[in-house]
Amino acid sequence: MLTRRRFVGYSALSSSILACPPLLRSTLGQSPSGSSSSPLRLAILGSTFRHGSNLQTIADRFLVGYPCEGDWHMPNVRVVSVYIDEHIRRTAAGPTDFQLAITGQTRKSRVEATGTASDLSEARAKQFGFRLCQNIPETLRCGGDRIAVDAVLTIVEQCDDYPYQSNDKGQMLLPRYDFFQQCVEVFETEKHSVPYFNHKQLSFSFTEARSMVETAERLKFPLMAGSSMPVTWRLPDIDIPSGTRVQEAVMVGVGSFDNMDFDALEAMQSMLERRKGGETGVKAVQLLRGDEVWAAGKAGRWSQDLLSSALSRSDTPLGLTLLDGRNQDLVGDGVLPQLVKDPAAYCIEYADGTKATLLMLNGAIRDFNIAARLQSGDLVSTQFFMPPAPNETYSACLAEKIDQMFQTRKAPYPVERTLLVTGLQEACINSRFKLNQRLETPDLIMSYQSLARSQYGRT
Amino acid sequence: MDLKGISGKRPQLAAVVTAYKKYLHPQHVVDRFLDGYGWNGTYHHPEMDVVSLYVDQRGEGDLFQERAGRHPGMKICPTIEEALTLGTSKLAVDGVVVVAEHGVYPLNENGIMKRPHYEFFERITGVFRTSGRSVPYFNDKVLSWNWDWSKKMVDVSQELNFPLQGGSSLAVTWRIPSVEFPLGAVTKEALSIGYGGMTSYDFHGLETIQCMVERRKGGESGVEWLQTYRGDAFWKAYEEQLWSHVLMKAALSRSSTLRPGDASFTNIFPTVEQMKTMVPDPVAYHYQHRDGLRSTMILLNGMVRDFTFAAMIDGESKPFSTQMYLPMPDGRTTLANFFSPLVYNAEQMFLTGKAQYPIERTLLTSGLLIAGVESAKKNLRLQTTNLAAINYQPNPKSTFWRN
Repeated sequence: MLTRRRFVGYSALSSSILACPPLLRSTLGQSPSGSSSSPLRLAILGSTFRHGSNLQTIADRFLVGYPCEGDWHMPNVRVVSVYIDEHIRRTAAGPTDFQLAITGQTRKSRVEATGTASDLSEARAKQFGFRLCQNIPETLRCGGDRIAVDAVLTIVEQCDDYPYQSNDKGQMLLPRYDFFQQCVEVFETEKHSVPYFNHKQLSFSFTEARSMVETAERLKFPLMAGSSMPVTWRLPDIDIPSGTRVQEAVMVGVGSFDNMDFDALEAMQSMLERRKGGETGVKAVQLLRGDEVWAAGKAGRWSQDLLSSALSRSDTPLGLTLLDGRNQDLVGDGVLPQLVKDPAAYCIEYADGTKATLLMLNGAIRDFNIAARLQSGDLVSTQFFMPPAPNETYSACLAEKIDQMFQTRKAPYPVERTLLVTGLQEACINSRFKLNQRLETPDLIMSYQSLARSQYGRT
Repeated sequence: MDLKGISGKRPQLAAVVTAYKKYLHPQHVVDRFLDGYGWNGTYHHPEMDVVSLYVDQRGEGDLFQERAGRHPGMKICPTIEEALTLGTSKLAVDGVVVVAEHGVYPLNENGIMKRPHYEFFERITGVFRTSGRSVPYFNDKVLSWNWDWSKKMVDVSQELNFPLQGGSSLAVTWRIPSVEFPLGAVTKEALSIGYGGMTSYDFHGLETIQCMVERRKGGESGVEWLQTYRGDAFWKAYEEQLWSHVLMKAALSRSSTLRPGDASFTNIFPTVEQMKTMVPDPVAYHYQHRDGLRSTMILLNGMVRDFTFAAMIDGESKPFSTQMYLPMPDGRTTLANFFSPLVYNAEQMFLTGKAQYPIERTLLTSGLLIAGVESAKKNLRLQTTNLAAINYQPNPKSTFWRN
C-alpha cells in the first residue's frame, strides 16, 4: 500500500533497485573494517540536514570530529555519500518538468524553494567532497553499480517543512523501517552487508522493528540503534551494579509524546537491563494520564520515595524556583499537581516482577533523572546529563559508540535493548489510544544479556 | 574555639551577607540552609538553623523578608553584632556564614570591587574577642580584595583558633568526568580555561587549578612569580607556547559550551583565527610555583561558558583533564546547584568543627587574583614573595561532588 509505504512513493528507489544488476559480490574489493588503516567509507541516510537537526549534530561528528576522552577525536571515517529524503519529497511536492514548461516557470533552487539557507547538505557536500544522492541504493553504491561503503548511519527524524504523517494513535510515521529495508535489498542483491546504525527507535511498529533485528541476524551484519541518553554522562557517575536485584525504578522526564519519552524509556532500560538474571522482558504496560497519575502514586503503583529521590537530582525545578531562585522539595511540598497540567505515567511490569514507571512531568522540571530501589533497599539515583545546544555533547558520547561499532563490526550494546524499548513505547501509545487500559504484552517477553561494563560517558 | 553547642544540639548560625536578591550568592547559599536542597539522592535539610541574618545592602528585589516570613526562626538584624549576639551581650551562635559576593561597592585603583569580606570579618571577630570564644566561620569565595587583609583573616583565625573555610564552588562541584587529581602525582604544567572577566571569574579559574594541583607531590609550595597576558600579548604568548597547546586542546575538549567558530556547525574545534575573532579580550594568568610547576589560568570569554582543567602528569601518555561542571541558571538550569556541595562542605565544618579544605588554598587564590590584576595593569611579571610563602598540604580526602 502506498499509504503505508509513504516513503517508497516519493523515492526513486524502486526503479533503481530493478535496474541494478544482481549478484556482483565477487568484485566488491572491500577490506574488512579494522584490518586496515584506510578510512572507513560511510554512507549517511536521513530525512533532513538542517542546522540543529539530529542528523546535522551527529553526522558532523564524522566530518569534523568530536570531543572524546579529553581530546578532539577525528574518527577514521570518510563520509562518501549522503541521502536526504527531504530533497526528494520537496521535488515530489513541486511542479513537474512538464508543468514548469507549460507555465513558463523555472525550477527554484533548493534555497529559494525552502525560503531558508538552513539545509546544509549541499554546502557540506561541497566542503567535504561527498556525493549527494537521489536515492538510497545510489548512496550505498556511490553512483557505481555495487556497494561502495563500509558502514551506514541512518538518522530519520521529523522534518518540519515536509512532515511525515502521523497515524490515528498520534505516532509519527517516520520511515526508519523503509530506509533499512532499502539498504537490506541492496545488501541481499549483492550478498554483502555492512554495519548499520539507526538513530532512536527502530520503527514506530514493533513488528517492523523485530523484523529489522531478525534481518540483521540473518544477514549477519551488526545493527545498532538508540538515542544518546543511555550513553551520556551521569550526575553522579553511577550505575545499577551488574547482577543486582531491582525492586522498582522511577524515571522523570519531559518533552512531547512520541518523542523524548523514547529516550527516557531507553535510558531507564539501559540501567534496568543490568539487574540479576538479565533482561527477561515486559509482561504488561499501562499509560496513565492526568489525575490518575497522582492517584496511582498514592495507591503505591509507583513509589513517591523514588520520585522524590529522582527529583532530588534535578537542576531545573520550575514554579517558585523560576520566581525567586529558591530550592524546592517538589514532592514534599505537594506542588506537583499544580505545576504539571498533563502528567503521564508509563507503568511497566517486567516479567521478573521488577516494576518501572516513567513520569513525564512537563511544567515541573526540564531534565531527566532516575531513582531505583535495589533488593537490598538501597537507592541508586542520577541525572542523565544532557548538555545544552548548540554543542549537545551527549551526542558525542553516542558518536563514539557508533564509531566503535563501525570500526569493530560489533555493537557495543545489544540492539535488543532498542527493540524492547521500541515495543514498550508502542505498547504505551496503544494503552493511551485504548483509553489507558492495562495491556498485556506477550510480544515483549524477550530476553537478552547486558554487558557488565557500563557503557555511558565516564572517561 | 568553642565547640559547645556543636555536639549537643542543632547548631545555630548567623548569616552575614551583602545583598539578598534572586540569583545572588547570598540567596544561593543562605536559601540552602533554610529550605534544603537535593543531595545524595534525597531532599536534604541541614541539621542546623540560621537564626539571624544581617543584610548590608537592601533595595528593590530583596528576598530576605519573604524568607524570614517563611522561616520565623531567622531574625533580621540591623547590625552584625546583633546577628551574632542575638541581642545578648555575648556571642550566641555556633557558626557564621558570610557571603560577601555581589552587592555594589567602590572599585579599588586596579578595578577590583572592594567587597566587605574583611570589614565583616573584623566585626565578627570583634564579637569573638569580646565574648572570649570563637565559632566556625564560612566565607564564600575570596578572602578580601586587599592582600594584607586576606592574610590577616587567616592569621586571626589561627590566633583565635577557629576553622575558617572559604573558596569557590568550582573546587567542590561535579566533575565531568568524575575524576580526582592523583594524590602525590608529579606534574609540571597545569591550566584551566574559563569564562567571565578579571576580578571575578578569574578567581573560579584559579580555584579550578588550585584544588587539583595542591594534591601533587609535596603539596603546595607557593607561587614565586606571575605574569598576566591580555589581548595581543595573549596571542603572542600562545604562539610562543608559553603554555601547552596540548593541554589547551585537552581542556577545550572537555567543554560542553564551545562556541562554533563556523556558525553552520554546532560543535567544532575552533581554529586559532576563529578563536581570535570570538574572544576579544583573552586573559592568561601565567605563574610559576616554587617546586617548578607552571600554571596558567585562561579566560576565553566569548568562546566558552564553562570551566575546564588539564594537566600533564608524569608517567601518563595523555593529559589529565576534566570539566568542573556548573549547573548555571542562565537558561541552562533554574538552580545554581554548584552551591549545594559548597553548603554541604560548610555544614560539615559546622558539625565537626574542622575546615574541610585548607584556607591556605583560598589565601593563595585570593592573592593570585590580586597579583593577576596588578600584573595586567603594570604589564610586567610580578615577583610574588607573599605567595611564595604559602605552602600547605591538601585534605587527602576528596571533597568534590560525586555522590
